[in-house]
Amino acid sequence: MPKGEALGEFEYLVMLAVLRLGAEAYGMRVRQEISVRTGRDVTIGAVYATLERLADKGLLRASMSQPTPERGGRAKRSFQLTGAGMEAANRARQDLVNMLEGLEFPLPGGTP
Amino acid sequence: MNPPAWAQFVLWAVAGENQAEFVAGDLHEEFLLLCAERGPSAGSRWYARQVLRSAAALVGLRFRSGEAAHLAAAALVAVAMPLVLLDRLWSFVYSHIPLKDGLARAPGFLVANVVCVCACAAVCGSLAHTRGRAAGVAVAAAVGAACALWCSTATAPWLYAGLLIVAAPVSSMAVFAWRGWR
Repeated sequence: MPKGEALGEFEYLVMLAVLRLGAEAYGMRVRQEISVRTGRDVTIGAVYATLERLADKGLLRASMSQPTPERGGRAKRSFQLTGAGMEAANRARQDLVNMLEGLEFPLPGGTP
Repeated sequence: MNPPAWAQFVLWAVAGENQAEFVAGDLHEEFLLLCAERGPSAGSRWYARQVLRSAAALVGLRFRSGEAAHLAAAALVAVAMPLVLLDRLWSFVYSHIPLKDGLARAPGFLVANVVCVCACAAVCGSLAHTRGRAAGVAVAAAVGAACALWCSTATAPWLYAGLLIVAAPVSSMAVFAWRGWR
């Protein structure tokens, strides 16, 4: 696999959030999902920058929705994983599983 | 209930029209939820903080996402401006050395110009995300270098001028290719 195709840590988190949210995967929900599950204070700018980068790589597909009143009359941009995105997510998971194999957690001196 | 007007203005200024539509919609949605949960002042504070902390990422996104004209303009300015400023600086330095005023530039100054232009063009090239856009940036960098040479107060040797006009686009494309390879 070429080096440029590997997913960064935050890219992987964003892809997993998109996968979890399904049809409801848009900027705000992705941001909330990552914040709730990881406790990170993520900004909407960082989320959109990553979503667009993943879409440029062909790992996500973007689609537009109609404007709604609760969004101040603005449209929504939703994302979903492409076939290449699924493949990249599976590969990243397998890499992680391979690296964790044989290690015991929590590590001494660290928090779980 | 509306988010702070100044924060909305900053958002539209940094994000550009394409991205601002979705980002503003998302922030507005979460702002209303927060206002209902914690009150309007907490919602406004959260909105403003999100906009300010997102500014750098949104500016980067603006350059990356289809706004090629901005990128080309940036390359033009980023290459031409430092060259013109360096030229003025060297003129100022020469004017303080007796009998040197008006003479041709020493090679050291010209090398400094070339290095500076290559660095600026490389930064612009690193912002391009597609081959077509990188080519546009390279052309803009060459035009920027030529414009700066034309505005120069001292006579530019042919070798130096040629090197500058070639080095700017080459370094821009080289960084783009290097990023793609990485």
